[in-house]
Amino acid sequence: MKKTISLMAALMMVSGGVAAHPFNEAFNEQRAMYGKGHSFTWNGQTYLTDHPEEVAAAAEANATNATALLAAAKDQYAQVLAVDFGWTLTKGLLKSAGKALEAGKFQDSMNLSAQAQYHSRMGLVQYEQSQTEWIMAVPQ
Amino acid sequence: MKIIKVLLAGVSLAFLASTSQAATSGNTLATVDPEADRLALQSHFQRRFPQVALSDYVNGIYALDAPSREQWQDIEEFPPYEFDIEEGEILFNKTFANGKTYADCFTNGGIGVRQNFPRWDESQGKIVTLELAINQCREANGEKAFGWKKGKIAQISAYMAYTSRDNLFDLKIPNNGAKAAYLDGKQTFYTRRGQLNMSCANCHVAGAYIKIRADLPGPALGHVTHFPVFRSKWGNLGTLQRRYGGCQKNVRGVPQKTQGDKLRNLEFFQTYMSNGLVANGPGARK
Repeated sequence: MKKTISLMAALMMVSGGVAAHPFNEAFNEQRAMYGKGHSFTWNGQTYLTDHPEEVAAAAEANATNATALLAAAKDQYAQVLAVDFGWTLTKGLLKSAGKALEAGKFQDSMNLSAQAQYHSRMGLVQYEQSQTEWIMAVPQ
Repeated sequence: MKIIKVLLAGVSLAFLASTSQAATSGNTLATVDPEADRLALQSHFQRRFPQVALSDYVNGIYALDAPSREQWQDIEEFPPYEFDIEEGEILFNKTFANGKTYADCFTNGGIGVRQNFPRWDESQGKIVTLELAINQCREANGEKAFGWKKGKIAQISAYMAYTSRDNLFDLKIPNNGAKAAYLDGKQTFYTRRGQLNMSCANCHVAGAYIKIRADLPGPALGHVTHFPVFRSKWGNLGTLQRRYGGCQKNVRGVPQKTQGDKLRNLEFFQTYMSNGLVANGPGARK
């Protein structure tokens, strides 16, 4: 019995320790403190504080990349709308990205698409969290 | 063998821990307890505002903030929704092309029934709000449905609410279908949305009577009793679901569908929370 309790305690401590400072938390802290383009170490590895969308927008600014990024952003927006967690500014960003692309302003278009795609990705994260976390706000 | 036994014991303990947590949290159909939720919400507000009588929550923020209450009482001397009630009565009594009226669609001829909505409709398998019932009545009698948020539907709803003043809300949850709708509404109420990552509860439970810039959010308790409302910001009368859409936009979320399942269930949950309070619509708000 003692062994069972010790094993459970050890399991809980391990899982608690991992949950206490997961990568996402470390990333968000560093991003909030230093903004994009900052490097930090987590579990012995070095990472940058850039969002994946910002990395994509840093590719060469040309019609092919801008078109692909806009298509990806539109696709992710459709996904977040499908689960009812869209954000209001995203549609406007996509529209502006499309106009910039038509005007040949590829970098502007890529930046706007990246922003729109980030909104949608965060909306999807919000949706995932909403499935379990809402109950914690209910008065008992 | 010993290791397997130890692991099995560990897994069982973990399972028991998770199920006992769910049993007290009310986030599943098996464990949700609407009456416990209602009493817990009432208790929350009574602890926060012990000087406010439970019955006064039908007045929203004006139950909590004395200066706002004074201004509101001045407005209520010449209620801005008065003409809408009159117009609503005319519309309510207007005969459809087939010779029938709204009175034919509702119990008691539609008089004094506001407090019975929203309600679980077994034949449709969904929650029916007062505005949905009004439009279903129109369509059943060969008339075109009204828009959901303002105008004629709000005026008819206002008249019906006016004839129901002082009637007690006492919504029932008769079966698992209704309970599932209640649970869905509860989840929507406490779920964060939009770029500002805020839920209804952020402003109207924890944040009630705490300034958001220049505004004081009202308490969730009694929130629905005074709808439809004439909002000074709108300059006209609007339905509860119009307000829901506005709130969701305010937190920079794409609003959920007006009179869709989600918002009807939300309205059902919120109204159940106000069971025991009286209908006092239509109301005037900032």
